[in-house]
Amino acid sequence: MTNSKKYLVLFTLFFLCFNLVLTAKPFESTYKPLPSVNVLIKNANIYDGEGNELLQTDLLIKDRKIEAIGKDLPVTNDFEVIDASGKWVTPGIIDIHSHMGVYPAPGVRTSSDGNEATSPVTADVWAEHSMWVQDPQYTLALSGGVTAFHVLPGSANLIGGRGVTVKNLQRNTINSMKFPDAPHSLKMACGENPKRVYGNRQQAPSTRMGNIAGYRKAWIEAEAYLNRLNEYESKSDEAKEMGYKPTRDLELDTLAGVLRGEILVHNHCYRADEMASMIDVAKEFNYKITAFHHGVEAYKIADLLAENNICGALWADWWGFKHEAYDMVQANIAIVDQARGGTGCAIVHSDDAIGIQHLNQEAAKALSAGIRAGYDISKARAMNWITSNPAKAAGIYDQTGSLKVGKNADVVIWSKNPFSVYALAETVFIDGGLAYDRESGFYPSSDFDVGIINSNKNRLEE
Amino acid sequence: MFIKIFKTFLCFFYVGALYSETILIKNATIYDGVKNIPFEGNILIENEMIKRVSSTNMQADFVIDASGMIVTPGIIGTDTNIGIVEIGALSVTRDDSSKIYSIGFSIHDAFNPKSTLIPWNRSNGVTSALSLPQGTSSPIGGLGSYFLLDGEFDITSNKDIVMIGSVGGSSNKSRAETYAVMDDLLSFASSINIRDLSSDADIAELIEASPIAEFMELHPRDVRALFKLINDNLPLIISTHRASDILKLIELKEKYNLNLIIKGAQDASLVASKIAESNTPLIINPINNIPGSFDELASNIQMASRLEREGIDLMFNTPRSHNFHLVRQGAGVAVANGMSYETAISALTSTPAKVFNIEKRGEIKSGYFADIVIWDADPLEPSSMPEYVFINGKSIDLTSRSSRLRDRYTSQPEKPNTYRD
Repeated sequence: MTNSKKYLVLFTLFFLCFNLVLTAKPFESTYKPLPSVNVLIKNANIYDGEGNELLQTDLLIKDRKIEAIGKDLPVTNDFEVIDASGKWVTPGIIDIHSHMGVYPAPGVRTSSDGNEATSPVTADVWAEHSMWVQDPQYTLALSGGVTAFHVLPGSANLIGGRGVTVKNLQRNTINSMKFPDAPHSLKMACGENPKRVYGNRQQAPSTRMGNIAGYRKAWIEAEAYLNRLNEYESKSDEAKEMGYKPTRDLELDTLAGVLRGEILVHNHCYRADEMASMIDVAKEFNYKITAFHHGVEAYKIADLLAENNICGALWADWWGFKHEAYDMVQANIAIVDQARGGTGCAIVHSDDAIGIQHLNQEAAKALSAGIRAGYDISKARAMNWITSNPAKAAGIYDQTGSLKVGKNADVVIWSKNPFSVYALAETVFIDGGLAYDRESGFYPSSDFDVGIINSNKNRLEE
Repeated sequence: MFIKIFKTFLCFFYVGALYSETILIKNATIYDGVKNIPFEGNILIENEMIKRVSSTNMQADFVIDASGMIVTPGIIGTDTNIGIVEIGALSVTRDDSSKIYSIGFSIHDAFNPKSTLIPWNRSNGVTSALSLPQGTSSPIGGLGSYFLLDGEFDITSNKDIVMIGSVGGSSNKSRAETYAVMDDLLSFASSINIRDLSSDADIAELIEASPIAEFMELHPRDVRALFKLINDNLPLIISTHRASDILKLIELKEKYNLNLIIKGAQDASLVASKIAESNTPLIINPINNIPGSFDELASNIQMASRLEREGIDLMFNTPRSHNFHLVRQGAGVAVANGMSYETAISALTSTPAKVFNIEKRGEIKSGYFADIVIWDADPLEPSSMPEYVFINGKSIDLTSRSSRLRDRYTSQPEKPNTYRD
């Protein structure tokens, strides 16, 4: 090979590499799981997150996956055995609405990074770029069995930006917490918050009709942008070289991602009439709403949600902090779940760093309210509200959210039935790695916790 | 079936504003509210009062068989804005602050017995509540009152039975300034003689003679409240978290012989023995383990059990009065993390009655007012609900706006919603 040919090959290789770098997506997950442990959990009572209750059953974790579930699985030397007699096992709990990291503890101005409240449409911002990885709240959520959570921007804006789903494994960079292959979400917000924030500044939107106009204007721009992109992409390579590539726009990139079905819409919306209007906006621009969040009035339109395949991500009982949250019904979650012959999608969410630690209790309240309202709902089904349903809404159900053979071993062992206030998450596995063990005092501490009260101890050490 | 029929009877009596002569709650598992282990027994209610608590059988006009059910005193809300705030973010429905008065601002006359928070909270077991104003411009000031949650226009209340205050991290001043102001105010309060309060003109003179009173532009109402604080040894609830602040407040308590209660106290476990020695009761939210500020870094889910071990008088709160009944959930979490069940019940009932001098309530005891809840299951499980709630011996209708809305959307689907019941 002549020198010039060598250079040509090198140049070509270099160019190819460079090109690959250019086209690689930024901010990809670099998540690496904890050391893998192979565990046989013996004789547990299991809620599998698929609506089933399996009593006195074994669950095998092998090579980070759920290897087997069944009675009397053979004990071999390859597995550590945990006797879970009298205990309960569930999938890792998933919270579809968290602001941990973007509103970390301590709640101080310098790290309150959840609302880019400078313009009503900020589809260009990404929650993951605000998340503080040292937030001491992640560990607290882990002690409540939470193995993954979805972090959203706040609700000051009509369109607040992209949300991100993370593994509940605290790391030094946000990319190393990001849930591999989880889609982004888009946070949208109805009602009082955007109209108050911008109305107070004598700026649109200052009314609910202004809110709706604001979304529609944004989607019209997004449609035009997507058309320009599609038109360019459909051209031959030659024609592409001749023409101009549409200038990239971060805001419209996100909105176009929604119109392409790649980004999931999570819509903060309390009132039934507003949710119905938002469904019309989605139909007008041909995008899908994955879930309405908070939805204190979801029970009023539960059938409409079920017909449109939209989840209700709801609290068990919050109400009264504002007018649009006045019509609380504790059976809200159950009514959404049972709509159209039980085809509804109900999720118990927290929106709160205390609530996220007790989602099992929130589900217990919602379930008992449903039973009092006359519905026949099992605990096994109610478990779906905090496991498989949020996993579906976050777009990670193929990987986690239920105890199915082949899925990631995100598993919680509870001291008692998790629908009791006295149940504690004892052991938590994330991807088959031991993340938390109550009895042995094995839990992560963020850097924030180190030496902050007594210099020789971590924050939670006695 | 019997229970249902009985409820109808009670409803009839309730609506007719009649009292049944005597009611017997039979075979109940009774938690009397004062840390005693539960016992199987019968409770005889006559008019407003508990006539007798006994394991022997008694006769009554009406009998409720509470076999297998837990009975407790009605929950006393220790830190609420029930009746003075309807919708949090809607200022026209808030009556918890004043622009003119500070120390002497009383919320008492704003109380709305028809607030929707009242039927909802009492259908969840809260039978009375201490409603407190928002903090004022003064680090000590604002008067809270105690209300029975019977929903009657003829309000049963204890007016201005507590003063509030706060100290801690702030964006615009040092806490050292707050302590200096507190000290000045308490010193001024201690110097007031009843004779100086005979007329507003006299009080105006007092204010003029006190630099701090003059600087803070106190009104006669404020000065009278300060006098009451010291002279009547009024319970003073100060919100603070940091351990060093808790100790500083204990110093002030000792200097001025204050009837101090500390609220929040997220750092309390760091100085638990000092709190116990000083006999200072605490109002804590046992489910809050968030290091929400730099003042509350020691927040810990085991806090309640650690404080119990020191023998500190504990009461529980929750930040949202709309669901104040969720103190039950917090109490359950405290028990799950090591607190004794009986102490958790007392934190919701007899301890606030004792600390705030609410007479003859907070316990199931003969001679006490019959504020009683019969639960369908363990009251510290948040999924449990009352079967019966008695306030002053009257069985309360457990319907709430929330239960009505639920019924509206789970029945009569053939009618448009506005034409349903």
